[in-house]
Amino acid sequence: MLSFTPRARRTRSVVCVLGAGALLTTGLAACTPSAGGSDTSGGKPKTLHMLYATAEADAAAVQSLVPAFKQKFGIDLQIDTQPYDALQQKVFSESASGSSYYDIMIVDTPWAPALVGKLEPLSKYINNSKLNDMAKTDVADFIPKVFYDTAVYDAKTPNRHFPQATGAPDTGAITKAGFDVYGLPIQANALVMGYRKDMFNDAKQKSGYQAAAGKPLEVPRTWDDYTKVAKYFTQPDKKLYGTTVMAGVGDWATDDFKSLLAGWGGDGHLVGDDLSLKFDTPEGVAALQYYQDLINKQKVVPPGSTSASWDETASLFGSGKTAMTMNYHPLTLDSGVKGEIGYATVPQGKAMGPHFGTWMLGINKNSVNKDWAYRAITWLTAAEQQVTMTKKELHPTRVSVYKQITGNSDTDAAERNFYQVLGDSLAVGVGRARLTNYTEVSNAIAKAVNTAASGSKTPQQALDGAATEVRRLLTEAGYKVPSS
Amino acid sequence: MSTVAAPRRAVSRRHPASVAGRVLLWAWLLAALVPLVFMVSTSLKPSGIAKALPPKWLFTPTLEHYQSVLSGGAGTSVGFDRLLFNSFAVTVGSTLLTVVLAVPAAYALSMRSFGPRRGISSWILSTYMFPPIVAVIPIFVFAGKLGLVDKYPVLIVPYAAFNLPIAVWILRSSILQIPYEIQESAMVDGATRFVTLRRIILPLLVPAIATVAILSAILSWNEFLFALSLTRSAAKTSPVGIQEFTGMYGTDWGKLTAAATVIVAPILVMTLILRRRIVSGLTFGAVK
Amino acid sequence: MTSTHPDAGTTHTTPTAMPSSTDATGGRTAPARDGRRRKGHRAGKIAPWALLSPAMTVLLLMTVAPAIYLVWSSLRNDTLLGAGGQFVGLRNYQDALTNPAVLKSLLITGAFVLVAVTVEMLLGLLLAVPLAAQSRSNNLAAALMLLPFAVTPAVSAMMFKELLNPNYGWIDYYMGALGLPAHVEWLSNSGTAWLALIGLDVWQWTPFVALILMAGMQSLPKEPLEAAAIDGASTWQSFRHITLPMLAPFLAIALTLRTIQAFKTFDAFKILTGGGPGASTEIINLGIYRVALQSFRIGAASALAMVLLILLSLLVPLLLRAVGRNADPEEA
Repeated sequence: MLSFTPRARRTRSVVCVLGAGALLTTGLAACTPSAGGSDTSGGKPKTLHMLYATAEADAAAVQSLVPAFKQKFGIDLQIDTQPYDALQQKVFSESASGSSYYDIMIVDTPWAPALVGKLEPLSKYINNSKLNDMAKTDVADFIPKVFYDTAVYDAKTPNRHFPQATGAPDTGAITKAGFDVYGLPIQANALVMGYRKDMFNDAKQKSGYQAAAGKPLEVPRTWDDYTKVAKYFTQPDKKLYGTTVMAGVGDWATDDFKSLLAGWGGDGHLVGDDLSLKFDTPEGVAALQYYQDLINKQKVVPPGSTSASWDETASLFGSGKTAMTMNYHPLTLDSGVKGEIGYATVPQGKAMGPHFGTWMLGINKNSVNKDWAYRAITWLTAAEQQVTMTKKELHPTRVSVYKQITGNSDTDAAERNFYQVLGDSLAVGVGRARLTNYTEVSNAIAKAVNTAASGSKTPQQALDGAATEVRRLLTEAGYKVPSS
Repeated sequence: MSTVAAPRRAVSRRHPASVAGRVLLWAWLLAALVPLVFMVSTSLKPSGIAKALPPKWLFTPTLEHYQSVLSGGAGTSVGFDRLLFNSFAVTVGSTLLTVVLAVPAAYALSMRSFGPRRGISSWILSTYMFPPIVAVIPIFVFAGKLGLVDKYPVLIVPYAAFNLPIAVWILRSSILQIPYEIQESAMVDGATRFVTLRRIILPLLVPAIATVAILSAILSWNEFLFALSLTRSAAKTSPVGIQEFTGMYGTDWGKLTAAATVIVAPILVMTLILRRRIVSGLTFGAVK
Repeated sequence: MTSTHPDAGTTHTTPTAMPSSTDATGGRTAPARDGRRRKGHRAGKIAPWALLSPAMTVLLLMTVAPAIYLVWSSLRNDTLLGAGGQFVGLRNYQDALTNPAVLKSLLITGAFVLVAVTVEMLLGLLLAVPLAAQSRSNNLAAALMLLPFAVTPAVSAMMFKELLNPNYGWIDYYMGALGLPAHVEWLSNSGTAWLALIGLDVWQWTPFVALILMAGMQSLPKEPLEAAAIDGASTWQSFRHITLPMLAPFLAIALTLRTIQAFKTFDAFKILTGGGPGASTEIINLGIYRVALQSFRIGAASALAMVLLILLSLLVPLLLRAVGRNADPEEA
């Protein structure tokens, strides 16, 4: 027979359960890897914490500099790398919570309009000679378009672009116009054309093309030639195609489109500083028509292109399925594919405006080591360091660095080719509109591009639909859209 | 006409419907295994032939992808070995928490003297419909403000909340299957509720608890949305990590499938071994 | 009196029966001293709440608390970084409900749930019949059956994506080999993209339904079926009039659980299509994710989330009532 004793037992059981629960939670919390904090004694900190991206901004390159940094500064640079989605969420939530953990944060340009209030304005640091002792900031050396597009903002009206975005950057002029510098650009990606040099140099292909098109086979310089060359190389039965497009629903489609739009003479920013829409225009329709024809009429792209993004495109070119491609980084061919890769700027239409996507290193306004963080980012983005990092495929942001790489005969020829083209592209590239809800706007436009690309709507219909949606999105985000 | 000695099957084995049924079943199984076969076989193929068409079936298997993934050298921001550890920690933690919370609750909801029990049971079951995407918004905001992001509890507690409705339902059904007389006698003998729970109910509940634990473990191990939004590197779990094997530079089939196999293997093995528990758990509520 | 559950393997000694009376509600009155009964009575009142409170706390924390925050936040134009933050009344709801994209995505979500769950229920039922019938080879069958259910949804989505690749995927290759149309650009056309997404969901969840129904079928008494067979009923007739009605509680469980789970689908859509082509597979969860965690417009996202929650709160209790009626163990 079971026997029980009264209350004491029950109390003990309750205590047991609660105790176990408490232990469990504490134990779990204790097991959690701790976040730590940057230690500072008011002077030089022992550690600086930096939040960085992964492959999109060539993290390996920056990580390779950590030992040299330690030697020069005597500070440990702790780099946290995150893939894109998680990185954005982390940058935003760290900024929102006012955390001082990260001294330096990498910022992708579309995020900057929302983040401007949480980043430290750098003009007074740049002008302070005492803080420029570790490296020369030399703002004027940055590629103008890259610098103005990436790092210069008007905190009061974040959607404005700096009015005179030509000529070497000058902090004085910037602050006089009511803007400020909010970071130093570290990585600059631009849309660049890659092609199979071996196929273009092949004698049989050359004569074949000459016969078919009546002109020599060359890397296309106009969009017309681009189509012709792509068509020539397309042999679906041999699983060979002319080129690739990224027409899946996502940022990549928007970027494809805005590059074409600029090529047709339109404004590649898609939305103007005055919030008027620049894509629902005759140029936009013409550009999108070209895109649609490339895919559906000329059929020069591999199957699946209307759901392709960056990775499929890279895979397709890498496996030797296409003669040309357009992408944002140096390409490699798979081990089984024998060939040579050449690079060129995207073809020229009425104008040329390849999309560029750039990253900058900004300083957390809440950091307690702002002076040292500033010194760190000047050193990391200095010419000497950028040259070193290009060995790990960083895409530099300084004019002098491009001059040095392309002028150096020791550099691998293919590499020199790429950097020459990248530098030329960045000089004429076009960035994005500065909208706090850029992701949503880009998604609306990408949907339109994708719909037109698949042929289910005409470019005019697709762009009209996108225009309505974008106007709605801008209004929802609090912008005052001018009535068209 | 009465049947003879052996009981006659309601449907004979050679009945066309029966044959068709078996054909359908095995056809389904074969088709359903294709993605898993793809995953495992590609993970063992040398990179060069991974994308070859027609797919190569005879090849010398290589473990290079597994080595690369598990040693953390696969170019991901966090080593995969770390991700697996995090998945394991979060799964064990949330499963334990689920059981610790659900057992007393289920017992309480089975007490006949407890008036609101049916209403509360229904409410608990209805919380199952709360979409995680909806809950993630405030949790993301507050976890950020409170500095809880990227720590184990920020996943463990929500996962327990996701598992509780089903856990309580299964456990409650099981407790209600226990003859009430046994509880009555114990209470008449002077046992309190808590002691009854511990000495009488708990031993009988072990199978159901095992079921609940398994189902919770599967859900926690496989969860993606919360892990994606609430972890960074310290507590990142494997379903989130696998996304890094495809990206701007193309998809490495070998590494992707090796990582996939590594994530999926523990759960698959456990499911195979404990299949009966899972199924019986899901039907507890209906077995009368 | 309910019988002991078949799975309760532990044996225990029945305590010597003490005289006790049960009143109409099933409560007991023990012939004990007054003092103890009063204590027991009070303890009986507190004990359930004490036992229930940890679980309730967690659930309230994860459902009611977020819902309250969402209601509050949806009436403001909050953004994560602090811009906005003013009370705007019902404007977020107005924006959401007058936005054709949002309405379309709600319809798409509903359509997906309807089609996927229907296919899974039918297919599950079809597969449950042969599964329930045999025994030896079925151990293997049932074990293999459950595998897709255990695969991480994010992983299975990636595997499907690679299999469907029109340039390298196995599906494309073998379809061509079998003479079926090849080079189907699965994710480029909305029809085939839907097929792919529903196919993935069916692949992953039909086992769940099939095994529930199988267990149900195996637990059904054999007598009615044998009696019907003796009376000359056809296979179909006995299935329809005897098996199915007895299977009702299991069907109800499977239907309810699957429907609720289907509304929560996220991984597959994000990985396979991202809402494309166009907006044809843009389920509401993708939109909420984008507005909340990529645009960080918390107020607007909260309104969207509330709309979804309200719709589910209307729909699911209807389903739950069906389950409850059939599956509440106390309703003998």
